[in-house]
Amino acid sequence: MTGEPVRPKGITGSELPGPYAVGAYARGMRDFLRARPRVQVFGEVWNFKIARTRAFFELRDADGALPCGMWRDRLEALGLPDGVLADGTQVVVGGGPDYYPGSRTASPGFSFDVSALRVAGEGDLLVQLAELRRRLDAEGLFAPQKALPRPVLPRTIGVVTGESGKARDDVLAGLRRRGWAGRLVWAFAPVQDRRAAPAITRALQDLAAIEEIDVVIVARGGGSLADLFAFCDETLCRTVALLRVPVIASVGHHTDRTLIDDVAAVSASTPTHAAEAAVPLDVGAARARTRTFAVRLAWHGRRAVVERARHLARMGRVPGEHVARNRRALHQQLRELRAAATRRAAREREITATRAEVLRRKAAAGAGADADAQRRALEGLGLALGAHDPRRVLDRGYAMVDDREGGLVTSAARARELGALRVTFSDASVDARIDE
Amino acid sequence: MSDDELTYEAATARLEEIIRRLDSGEAGLRETLDLVTEGRTLVERCAAELDAVSRGLEELRLDELVARLEQQTPDAQEAP
Repeated sequence: MTGEPVRPKGITGSELPGPYAVGAYARGMRDFLRARPRVQVFGEVWNFKIARTRAFFELRDADGALPCGMWRDRLEALGLPDGVLADGTQVVVGGGPDYYPGSRTASPGFSFDVSALRVAGEGDLLVQLAELRRRLDAEGLFAPQKALPRPVLPRTIGVVTGESGKARDDVLAGLRRRGWAGRLVWAFAPVQDRRAAPAITRALQDLAAIEEIDVVIVARGGGSLADLFAFCDETLCRTVALLRVPVIASVGHHTDRTLIDDVAAVSASTPTHAAEAAVPLDVGAARARTRTFAVRLAWHGRRAVVERARHLARMGRVPGEHVARNRRALHQQLRELRAAATRRAAREREITATRAEVLRRKAAAGAGADADAQRRALEGLGLALGAHDPRRVLDRGYAMVDDREGGLVTSAARARELGALRVTFSDASVDARIDE
Repeated sequence: MSDDELTYEAATARLEEIIRRLDSGEAGLRETLDLVTEGRTLVERCAAELDAVSRGLEELRLDELVARLEQQTPDAQEAP
């Protein structure tokens, strides 16, 4: 829009001043409201919304309400935890009334311009908690407990809880569920009033001082944040963070998150779960598993020995079996050889008989009719030869002398020359030596 | 449990390893017998640990325990 708008005539008969241009009036209104004194107002937050540059909400109580607006950078500078400005949160705001004059294209709006904000009541606790959480985290105090080794089968468990609370029964139920029946050290402490945090801190320190304690459970049932605030105590949380034994925390319901949940080794949703986390092992199942181990070991041990014994027995039998096998083979070969020899001798005998018969027949055929005459002539010749046989002379008392090699010695001179002679009588020969 | 003792979980882990080795059938006679002996010792240890938490729940109160310890401490100091 450019230039001053044309001013129309006023309402006939009206005594009111004007008419004024609305834009000028709206700006005047804005200036007027901004000149009102700055104040603090408290109430409950409702309909909290965040736009690009501004956050909007209503501040209400039973008698009235105020639309509020706040620059986002101012809101973010407060470092409030997410979700803290939920419906119903008590806040105190500082600021004053403001008016957005709008324009032809933008709607005008009234709001209380918030320049400062503090969360009050339970929300205030949340803010303090967020601040402390940020600080402890920055100091690295969330880590030490998580780094502690947790035995799967603790022998002694410490429990910090209220003496009369239901948490006590829940812890016992959780331990029963695990089949655990070891030693339990109860450290009863108030769990919600002003004395609670120091008492719990002392109980934890005392428990940690007992060497047998393997793990500590801190348990408390649900309650309001104010009730649970003892478990957000800075000294308590610092103590837990630096304790030598792992701490399992179960404080409030799973929707509540106290600071001890952050520093503890484990944060459980209920005391029963805390007990189960303290004894991760199901004792009955572990016993069955150990039995299985024992059975497997016994089986392997037995099998190893029996198999080795069988093997040795097999090895022991081998030489005997080998000899027996060879003996059997030799006997068989012997039998076969004998049988073969017998068969061959019989065959040779047959062949020889056949050949003898053939020769006999051939001889008979070749000799013909003169055979007998010739045989007789031969017998005559044989007799004549026998008469000249030197051995016949020996029979009559003569002896024959030779040089022991068959050469006859016929003179004494030759005998002297040889020295060693053989004298043959009719029955045998004797060696002789010339003495002269 | 003191640090030098084998923890229950370490004992069971070693037992599992032993059983795996034995089941593989790759161990010779000597190794098998050694593993079985080691395994039996570990089984006894595990059984003892389980027995220790199965004897029946023993409930003590910290305040009583602390009082008892405080009574014992001067005695212990007097002892030679």
